[in-house]
Amino acid sequence: MKVALITGITGQDGSYLAEFLLAKGYEVHGIKRRASSFNTQRIDHIYEDPHDPHPKLKLHYGDLTDTSNLNRILQEVQPDEVYNLGAQSHVAVSFESPEYTADVDGIGALRLLEGIRFLGLEKKTRFYQASTSELYGLVQETPQKETTPFYPRSPYAVAKLYAYWITVNYREAYGLYACNGILFNHESSRRGETFVTRKITRGLANIAQGLEQCLYMGNIDALRDWGHAKDYIEMQWLMLQQEKPDDFVIATGVQYSIRSFINKTAKLLGIELAWEGKGASEQGRVIDITRDNAPAVKVGDVIVKIDPRYFRPAEVETLLGDPSKAKEKLGWVPKITLDEMIEEMVAHDLDKAKQHALLKNEGFKVSVGRE
Amino acid sequence: MKRALITGITGQDGSFLAEFLLERGYEVFGLARRESWFRPNNASHLGDRVKVLFGDMSEGTDISSALQDAQPDEIYNLASQSRPGESWVRAPETLMINGMGAIRLFEAMRHGCPKARVYHASSSEMFGQTKCIPQKEETPFNPANPYAAAKVYAHQIVRIYRESYGLFIASGILFNHESERRPLHFVTQKIAYGAACAALGIKNSTDLNERGHPIVADGRLSLGNLDVARDWGHAIDFVRAMWLILQQERPDDFVVGTGKLHTLRQLCEAAYGRVDLNWQDHVVSDPSLVRPLETGQTLADASKARRLLNWEPSVSFEEMVSKMVDAQIVRLKSTLSGRK
Repeated sequence: MKVALITGITGQDGSYLAEFLLAKGYEVHGIKRRASSFNTQRIDHIYEDPHDPHPKLKLHYGDLTDTSNLNRILQEVQPDEVYNLGAQSHVAVSFESPEYTADVDGIGALRLLEGIRFLGLEKKTRFYQASTSELYGLVQETPQKETTPFYPRSPYAVAKLYAYWITVNYREAYGLYACNGILFNHESSRRGETFVTRKITRGLANIAQGLEQCLYMGNIDALRDWGHAKDYIEMQWLMLQQEKPDDFVIATGVQYSIRSFINKTAKLLGIELAWEGKGASEQGRVIDITRDNAPAVKVGDVIVKIDPRYFRPAEVETLLGDPSKAKEKLGWVPKITLDEMIEEMVAHDLDKAKQHALLKNEGFKVSVGRE
Repeated sequence: MKRALITGITGQDGSFLAEFLLERGYEVFGLARRESWFRPNNASHLGDRVKVLFGDMSEGTDISSALQDAQPDEIYNLASQSRPGESWVRAPETLMINGMGAIRLFEAMRHGCPKARVYHASSSEMFGQTKCIPQKEETPFNPANPYAAAKVYAHQIVRIYRESYGLFIASGILFNHESERRPLHFVTQKIAYGAACAALGIKNSTDLNERGHPIVADGRLSLGNLDVARDWGHAIDFVRAMWLILQQERPDDFVVGTGKLHTLRQLCEAAYGRVDLNWQDHVVSDPSLVRPLETGQTLADASKARRLLNWEPSVSFEEMVSKMVDAQIVRLKSTLSGRK
């Protein structure tokens, strides 16, 4: 039985990967940070009773900033595969906390690689590093592939770039089986609430149900290549099953604007939007209502506005991946389309919003979490 | 009177730069760790002419208070864990100082003295295993050791802070630059030292290498890969480039190097030739000293610096090597006579 260690197991990708590996018969270990509130919602459904003597999923308290903690966990778990998905993964937050972001996202990867080497696991343990399309930032060519020069535009992207290079260095210098998956945006109903896609599906669902009035956005003309996280984690696993370690771009090869993501979401909720105004005073007005999912919204309501607070200091305007290498060498193609993904996200968030609305209408106090 | 703060003032570049700025009438402040200041260092001879502020690049508060005390017009960020070879065994520390140190400084500057101009020391090591020769400002990076990866990190942070916040933060991508003040663990200085020992008939040196063995043992100097080729200039020319970079209208990145490539073999030839000896009788290549990954041929295309900064190197390769060997001979003679 193979043993895998996942950092960031409580996140979107970590939870899907844990499910995937458990289904393949792996023993899965995950690292979670201690927090004052529960932070395991995404894996609660696969977490077994810790009193079971032989659990297939085991959680360890830990932190990517804590070297001795990581070394102890590596030694205890003796993993065949390490998936480094843990990160301060929010681009805007990285401008506020650049040092912390570097510590977790940059040195964190290094701590794991060093730990593997230090414990003499370099022949046994395979290492996956979650790299990101944010490395391309101000893109130097379109579409972006493995050989495209990087041009990071945020402290998050630079920290991830460091981790990328240190992974390549350890592979080349020490013969470690270590891979970078350069993943373009990948979403799902488990995406964190502050990421733009989830912010949109959740925000509009809440508005539809009368829990919020308006969705405030940043740069809605940014173009992204969005895939479904479930498709992308399969590839993370595939990368570690090859004869030789290598780096791969994982993307759909199709690009949409944030504006069209908003339009698609609204449409699924039965709301037709028209855009008026320019720049920071642009807004989305309801011009038609086609279903009964949005009882709280009337024609003429302005439900989307721009708040310059959400503009990034340096914008990444466009990202489009070329996944040919992954297709050719890993036989990998994404299965879930953008429309199917948005449908899943909207269904999930509408369901939650309806629950909240029901409670609210029955006179219970309901507070909806906000950024 | 302009005020300048130099991080890493006790190093080769920091001390040359301090002299350069003092000559131009600057009030010079230096950030140094207590333990590096209170032992003989490259800036010791400057004494009271520079004001030393104690602190460490790993401490954000040290940096903020240094900026508060110095109120600098210009900041030169030269402090770093500066040994690429050693970065393999000090990788986390190298990123903490060379990479995150830059973030701490820029954040402190952004809040404390946003009008200041910052020079950041980037390095040709960032090009690493690149196939593009020569390298200019736009050449993609391909770092081949943790030192280089940390320098790439800081270099990108320079650009991001400049583009995101409109701060005057500029960088020099400096190719190898050496001098009499290089510490003995740098290969160029080892060779100069080896040649000086050979000239003075010293078969076993008192100075030790980073592994604790005499640098010259049984009349032999052990080096790693002798085919390594670099673009070497004299540090004195490079500190002038740093200053020039901060006198421009806009902050920018500049490649600074001589544009001439020499191998370690040629460096040995020049050094031992200075004392009329054949290097092959004194130097051996030791495979255990070869780095896990070698940086490729780094050769500067400094046309942008020539054009915009009007910068030209003034010290030739041969002159530089001769100066270094001569300085080592003087130093060794004085230690020998001191012992008598």
